[in-house]
Amino acid sequence: MTANSEDRQRRQMPSEPQRKPGGDDDGPRTPDVPRPSPNDLLKRMKRVDPDQARRYRQRSGQ
Amino acid sequence: MNTVFGIETEYGILVEGQDPSDLVKEVIEVVRSCSRPSAHPWDYRGEDPRRDLRGYRVNHLTQNPEDARYEKPQTRPMTVQEERSDRILTNGARLYNDHGHPEYSTPECSTLRELVAHDRAGERIVLECARVRGESGPAVRIFKNNTDHHGMSYGCHENYLFPREMPFEALLLGMMPFLVTRPIFAGAGKVGAEVRSSPVPVFQLSQRADFFTVDASVDTLHQRPIFNTRDEPHADPRQYRRLHMICGDANLSEYATALKVGTTAVVLDLLRTGWSPPFAIRNPVATISALSRDQSWQWHLTLETGKTIRATNLQRVYLDAALDRLDADADTQWVLGEWGTVLAALERDPLVLSDRLDWVAKRSLLEQFLKEEDLDWTASIAPSLDLAYHDLDPENGLFYGLQEMGAMRRIVSDAEIAEAAVSPPMTTRAWLRGNIVRRFPHAVRAVSWSRISLELDEQSIVLDLGAPSLDPSLRDRLEQSEDLSDWAAAIGRTQT
Repeated sequence: MTANSEDRQRRQMPSEPQRKPGGDDDGPRTPDVPRPSPNDLLKRMKRVDPDQARRYRQRSGQ
Repeated sequence: MNTVFGIETEYGILVEGQDPSDLVKEVIEVVRSCSRPSAHPWDYRGEDPRRDLRGYRVNHLTQNPEDARYEKPQTRPMTVQEERSDRILTNGARLYNDHGHPEYSTPECSTLRELVAHDRAGERIVLECARVRGESGPAVRIFKNNTDHHGMSYGCHENYLFPREMPFEALLLGMMPFLVTRPIFAGAGKVGAEVRSSPVPVFQLSQRADFFTVDASVDTLHQRPIFNTRDEPHADPRQYRRLHMICGDANLSEYATALKVGTTAVVLDLLRTGWSPPFAIRNPVATISALSRDQSWQWHLTLETGKTIRATNLQRVYLDAALDRLDADADTQWVLGEWGTVLAALERDPLVLSDRLDWVAKRSLLEQFLKEEDLDWTASIAPSLDLAYHDLDPENGLFYGLQEMGAMRRIVSDAEIAEAAVSPPMTTRAWLRGNIVRRFPHAVRAVSWSRISLELDEQSIVLDLGAPSLDPSLRDRLEQSEDLSDWAAAIGRTQT
């Protein structure tokens, strides 16, 4: 079997987590965003502020 | 896999008009904006990050001198609890301010699927807090990355429970070659470099590789090691070590997270069989940096013997040993299969992994954009595009854009992530912690990884949550009980 065909043959991630049915909190929702196309993504990239990395300053973390 | 694991992520934060001097205050506000059911404060008694796996305790931890520039005198000094502002959630996770970063620590998990779901739930919860904060204060943007592109780094740490009996040296020698080469599939990618070199790399595999200066040490804030020797097991220290891996990048790709943690857990299982790698890397610190910066993607490195080997072949030695020696449970089987596939693809054409690995996805996306705009990697917008990949806002973040397009391979569903945001794993003591927070919030006085202090019948009691793995019979007994006395009696390790 070639690696390519292995790639296509996706292995199933095992072990569905055990969950308590019917939790009493709904939790967060999937963000309600329309599915973008590749063109939308390029438009999104054009909207990136070219200066944002210059302004992005952080404290040192661990 | 024979471990319990978790991920701690320190998020980056951008508030227009505020410099790093203001970030601690702002992060406290973000964390306190958590509107989910939660308990606090955190119980810091017994925590000791200065204890070293090599059997001693250091006098102090090294601080980054750059941070001193941002310290402001406080009108009223805050207590540790006030500054950290911990929130313990119903899913057993911990959210707090860590050195000016919102940090989300997943609950203890025992399967890769659980861990990926909880890691991603953390993204949603931190973003949700930032949005709540933005309703009454300045707009807050959140980034899941590890560098500010100006020389400051912050971590994404993995934790693996491990038996105490393995000698430290065997652990260090066994892990080091694996960790130094792991960024070839676990790196999140970075434009440029933060440590001067010639030539300056246009694109690195790893966000963190610029920031390691020693092979092993107990420090985490400055003079960072590849292998962190902090000895703080958060469990019975006679039985357990907690391996606190600080050298990894924060992954957005679910697949990369699963492969990063899964391969590491497999290597730990392998070392427990008595296997050790037949090599050591010459100068691990220089090598992890050189591999990250290698624009040829050949990833050759030098061993202590003077021989050279490709990083993919070095990884394959671990993989082959694991295939030979481990009884594969379901998670291990998945890891062994995907590990082999990814190593083969990295040798053949790494770009085919753009739907799985963060560094490849980011590199491909940015390269396409730069080409269309007739720019190159030195364009001033390139670091900003890098940052945008890690933006958690689903309408602006580039990773989120790829995911919404269906371009990134998923491991868990959105429903699983939503469930993980409210419910703890069923198989670890996080189930006890999360359910006590959910069912008895008014009784909780303080929480830690291993203990919960409660007020019961006007008495203060401390419940020891016990071993990180949960006895299923204890869960079965408590599942239907809404009486705190039952819980205290069943857990049965009550201190007053």
